[in-house]
This record gives sequence, C-alpha cells and structure tokens, in this order.
Amino acid sequence: MKPPILIIIMATIMTGTMIVMLSSHWLLIWIGFEMNMLAIIPILMKKYNPRAMEASTKYFLTQATASMLLMMGVTINLLYSGQWVISKISNPIASIMMTTALTMKLGLSPFHFWVPEVTQGITLMSGMILLTWQKIAPMSILYQISPSINTNLLMLMALTSVLVGGWGGLNQTQLRKIMAYSSIAHMGWMAAIITYNPTMMVLNLTLYILMTLSTFMLFMLNSSTTTLSLSHMWNKFPLITSMILILMLSLGGLPPLSGFIPKWMIIQELTKNNMIIIPTLMAITALLNLYFYLRLTYSTALTMFPSTNNMKMKWQFEYTKKATLLPPLIITSTMLL
Amino acid sequence: MLKIIIPTIMLIPLTWMSKPNMIWINTTTYGLLISLISLFYLNQPNDNMLNSSLMFFSDSLSAPLLALTTWLLPLMLMASQHHLSKEPLTRKKLYISMLILLQLFLIMTFTASELIFFYILFEATLIPTLIIITRWGSQTERLNAGLYFLFYTLMGSLPLLVALLYIHNFMGSLNFLMIQYWIQPLPNSWSNIFLWLACMMAFMVKMPLYGLHLWLPKAHVEAPIAGSMVLAAVLLKLGGYGMMRITTLLNPLTNFMAYPFMMLSLWGMIMTSSICLRQTDLKSLIAYSSVSHMALVIVAVLIQTPWSYMGATALMIAHGLTSSMLFCLANSNYERIHSRTMILARGLQTLLPLMAAWWLLASLTNLALPPTINLIGELFVVMSSFSWSNITIILMGINIIITALYSLYMLITTQRGKYSHHIKNIKPSFTRENALMTLHLLPLLLLSLNPKIILGPIY
Repeated sequence: MKPPILIIIMATIMTGTMIVMLSSHWLLIWIGFEMNMLAIIPILMKKYNPRAMEASTKYFLTQATASMLLMMGVTINLLYSGQWVISKISNPIASIMMTTALTMKLGLSPFHFWVPEVTQGITLMSGMILLTWQKIAPMSILYQISPSINTNLLMLMALTSVLVGGWGGLNQTQLRKIMAYSSIAHMGWMAAIITYNPTMMVLNLTLYILMTLSTFMLFMLNSSTTTLSLSHMWNKFPLITSMILILMLSLGGLPPLSGFIPKWMIIQELTKNNMIIIPTLMAITALLNLYFYLRLTYSTALTMFPSTNNMKMKWQFEYTKKATLLPPLIITSTMLL
Repeated sequence: MLKIIIPTIMLIPLTWMSKPNMIWINTTTYGLLISLISLFYLNQPNDNMLNSSLMFFSDSLSAPLLALTTWLLPLMLMASQHHLSKEPLTRKKLYISMLILLQLFLIMTFTASELIFFYILFEATLIPTLIIITRWGSQTERLNAGLYFLFYTLMGSLPLLVALLYIHNFMGSLNFLMIQYWIQPLPNSWSNIFLWLACMMAFMVKMPLYGLHLWLPKAHVEAPIAGSMVLAAVLLKLGGYGMMRITTLLNPLTNFMAYPFMMLSLWGMIMTSSICLRQTDLKSLIAYSSVSHMALVIVAVLIQTPWSYMGATALMIAHGLTSSMLFCLANSNYERIHSRTMILARGLQTLLPLMAAWWLLASLTNLALPPTINLIGELFVVMSSFSWSNITIILMGINIIITALYSLYMLITTQRGKYSHHIKNIKPSFTRENALMTLHLLPLLLLSLNPKIILGPIY
C-alpha cells in the first residue's frame, strides 16, 4: 500500500487508542474505539484474498457489537448518574454491560471465538498489531473502571479464558493460531487481578506486549507461519533458534525468565486476597500453554528437522530483513527477573 | 557466597573465549579451583549458621551439598569430553555453558536464604537440564523424557508457589533465618492439610516418591552422561534439601500427614529395588536404584528425629557420589559398545582390569558396605525408623538384601564370566576415565574417616 496512505492509517490507529486512553468523556472514548476499528480494517486486509476479507469482516462485526454494547452501558450510566465522566460506575447493570463489551473487544472467553480465526487470516505484521496494540485501549478502560467491575463475572471470564487458551492451542500447528490462543490465555491472567490490583494488570500487559512483539518479529524474520517452516530455521539462522527457545519458555512463565514475573505477582496478589484455589487452578492450566510452546521449541531449537539439500546453501546469503529493535526486545522479554 | 558465584559466572566467558583446544582444560581446572573455595564453608561454628549476606547463607546442611555441587562440575566436564569430541565447536561451548549455568543455579539454590528465592532457582534449574536432556541425548525417547521431567516437576511445584506466598502473607517474611523464631504449631484442619500437601508435593516429585517417579527412569536414561550425573547427584538432593527446610514450618501436622508417604516410600523402595533385579538396561538399573535410595531419605525426613536427619544428610551426599560414579562407569561401557544393554558387554574384568576395580568399589558402596558413609546413612535411617515403628525393620532388611542382590548382579554381569565374542576392539581405559573414577571415589572413602562433616545440622 502506498506510503502516504499507510502513514495516515497508522496515525489514525494510534490516535484512536490515544483518544481512548486520554479522555474522560465516555462519548469521546467510544469515538476513539471506532476510529481505531475503522482504521485497522485496511491493515487487516493488506493481502487482498478471501481469507483476509473473512477475517476483517469477523473482526469488524465483533468489535462493532462490542462498541454498541459499550455505548448502551454508557447510556444506562448516564441515565442513573447523570454525567458522562468516566469514574466509579454506581449502577451494576451499566458496569456489567461495559465489562462484557470490553472483554468482547479483548477476546476473553466466552467471546474468544473470533481471535484465532482473525489472527489466522491476516499477515504476520497485522497479526502483531492486532494482538498487541489493540489490547491497550480496552485494558486502559478496564483499568479506569476497575473499582466498579463485578468481580465474579470477571474472575469467571478469566478462568475460562485461561482454560480455553490452554486447551485450544494444543491442537494447532499454525503459528498465528498458537499466538492467538496464547493471547487469550494471557488476557485471562490480566483480567483476573484487575479488580484486586490493577497495577499488576499493567505489568502483565507490558511484559506480554514485549514478549509477543519479540515472538512475532522472530517469526517475521523467517517469514514462517507454520511450525514446519519454523523448524527449518536451524539451517538458516541457528542463533535465532536459541532466541525462540528462551522466548517460548518465557511466554510459558518459567522462572527465572521475565514471563514468570506477572504470574508470580498475580498469584501473590490473589493469595493476599484469600483466594487460594483460583490461582492454583490458573497456574496449573498455564502448564497447558507451556506444553504447546515447548512443542514449538522441540521442533525448532532442540531437534534438527530433516530439510532439503538446498536449504543448507542459504547461510551464504546475508539476510536483509530489518529486525528493528530485535535484540533489546528479546533481552527485556527474557532477562527482566 | 559471591566468591563462589562470581567465578562460576565468569566460567562462561572463559569457555567462549578460550582457544578451541583449551576449552576443556580451562573449564575443568577453574571448576576444580572453585570447588576448593566451597570447602571453606564446611567449617561451621558449632551452634549456628554462617550468614554471608542478605540473600545467601550456608549451614551444615547446605555446605556439604554445596561442596558436592561444585565438586561435580569438573567431573561432569571430564566425563563429557568423549561424546562431544565430534561436535562443532559452538555446540561444545553451548553444552559447557549449559552445564555452568546449571551449576550456577544450583549453587544459588543451596545457599538461598529466602524461600521464594529458593523456589525461583529451584525452577530455574529445570531449564538447563531440559536443554541438556533434549538437545544432547542420544535416543528418540529423549523428547518424551524431557516432557515428563518438566511437567512432573512443574505440576508439583506450582502449588508450592501458592503455598509459599500464603505463608509469606501469614508470617510476614520468608527469610529462613527469621522464620525459625516465628513458627507456630500447625493444627490439624482440612486447609492445613492442603497447605502441607502443597508444600511437600514439589519435593516429593523431585526426590522422587515411589508413585510419582515415572519421570526419573526416562530422564536419567535418555540424558547424556553429564546430565545423568547432575540429575542423580544433585537435582534429586534438591528435593531432600527442600523437604528438610520446609518441614520446620509444618510441625506438628507432619506427624499426622506423613503416614501415606511413609507407606509409599517403604513399599516403593522394595518395589524399585526388585525392578532393578530384572533390568536389562544398565542406566535404567542405576536410575531405579536412585529411586530406592531416595525413598530412604524421604522416610528419614518424614520421621523428623535427630538421628534420621543425620542419616538423611549423610545418605544424600553418599548417594550423590555413588550414583554419579555408577553413571560414569555405565557411560564408559556405552562409549565402547554404543548400547546400554548389560549382557552385551560381559566379562570386562579380563579386558579392563583397572576399570573392574572401580566397578567393584562402586558396587560395594552402592550396597552400603561398612565403613563407607553409605552405610552410616542407611544405618541411621534404619535405626530411626525402627524407633518410629518396630515393623519397618522387616521392610528395611528386605530392602538391604535386595540392594545387595542387584548391585552384585550388576557387578557380576558386567565384569565376571567369559567375555562375549563380539568384544574385539574395545579401547583400553583412558586416563581421563580412571581419573574420573578416582575423583568420585576418593571423597567417598575419605569421608568414611571423618563423617562428622556430612552429618548435618543436628550433630
């Protein structure tokens, strides 16, 4: 797509999210969400094939429904409190509606069905933007209304998200779907402590974005979208296979890598609030996540898959893909503990 | 403690920047020097522990384990030289770096003074071990072995994390030195039972307890020699060490909760010893014998008497050295005939007599011959379990007999008798291998002269 158009669209996406994060009037927040959604549709459709059209349509429909639900919640809040300022929402119906709308935007269970299919239908770069930048706006609103969210609802959503994210990813070989299910599971972890300590949610979001950005960049460096093509990487870039190894282990939440920090902090906050069984359950289902990350590392870094003979010639060509900021990203996503 | 940790960290740049023909020599030499430093910590004042800093401390329980860990690194490097000789240079350096990283995490684990720090490092030791097993093992089953290893341990230790954080909230701090003064007795209630289970299951899986031991034969057999050595010698002892630390918090509920695990351990040690009698795979035999010895340690830790703690500590150190030595011997067989089957390499005494001497000594220490420290450990455990309940002596006696049976079975099958016909070009023993066996055996024999060092904090 032509550079000026790309710049305008990217600027709209960023402006949309900024408007959502920086405003205190509910109407402006809704406008920001709509700007964001409308501008990202061309990004999702960069490759003009029916799969991408289907993905963008699904994305548009779910996000539009969620925005409408959010507007309804805002209107009910206006009805009962008489003001448009975002603050503690006294009416439970409005609060539940807003929570439902925002979780639909995030892809939390039981509204998670669009995430794998949309992520699979788009390019790796668009998928990266979808799974990282698009999560910031709804999370910031959840952060702001966190005192009034119904804990039971959100905890239920969080638990089912972690379960769905773990189990759904087990049967996948396509890397984009794996990352989609990983996103569902991580969103579940974030949603679990919003009502108890929203700062931990920000920590988890930051680290998740760092790790997901690094993972997508490593995939893009190799232009690989399936496990099979990733497994040929030991021929071309052997160094990157070790990067994938520690990155996957970090995503799985193994100490001493930095993916463990959010899990530790979240479990600490939950136990401080006398919830013991829920963090134990969440931690154990996170092991399902670890299983499919580990399967990726097995095929990529720890074994050498058979490959055709001309693959071995490829080390002679220098790679020209730009890996912007890749080393610092990887370091921060693994060594932060 | 930094005087051990910083040199170990610096071993990594040492491997990456040495000349290609000097990497083994450099790392082994400096590893031996580091182990000399750790010997200083064995000198413990009588009544207290040496507190080095805010985060690290060492007492007479962790000092022998620390010395064992640092002693084992040069031995692991010596043992790995042959099977890595054909690999490209970068892979050799990666392997050595993984070993050094594992060593670093183990040193920090044994000297950690805060329980969450201990937990993080306990989990951190899994990653280099996983990489060593799955990347450098020799058979296709190593992938499954790595999975079993990782997931068994993680399933047990995630409840431990929750339990530690709960105790942190309850008591205010998890620093081990301070908790000793704040302990309140733990009454018997359902939630305390779950707390006890959450705390102990991680270490039970690691030890391993009989019902949860499935990962061990897989992991030990599929790992390369250095991986097997460190798994058997040190990583299992992490479980024992953790159990001994955390049972101080869990009294008096342990008297009630210990029964099922005691039954499993007592029965399991006989079961696994009996399985050893029917093994064809040499490494698998040694792996099951590890389960059997560790079951004794579990029994000792759960009884919680002074003598049993002394026996547990002595048995951990003794078993570490013995098991590691047996794996080295099995590896010397494997490198010659490329198979782990015992009967394929029979009658080695006529071909390699000096190695037969090491086989004999290793088997004798494995069956706890007096006056080795293996015997001291086992004897203390048997006596304390007899005082706990008279009937256990029957089970312990049966176990000692079966241990002797399979150790002698292993010795006789590999060493005695007529050699098999296809052993034509076995290389004679390398000096490196003889040095390896000596370095394993000398501490064992010398410690029999002064076992006070390894008898732990109660002595």
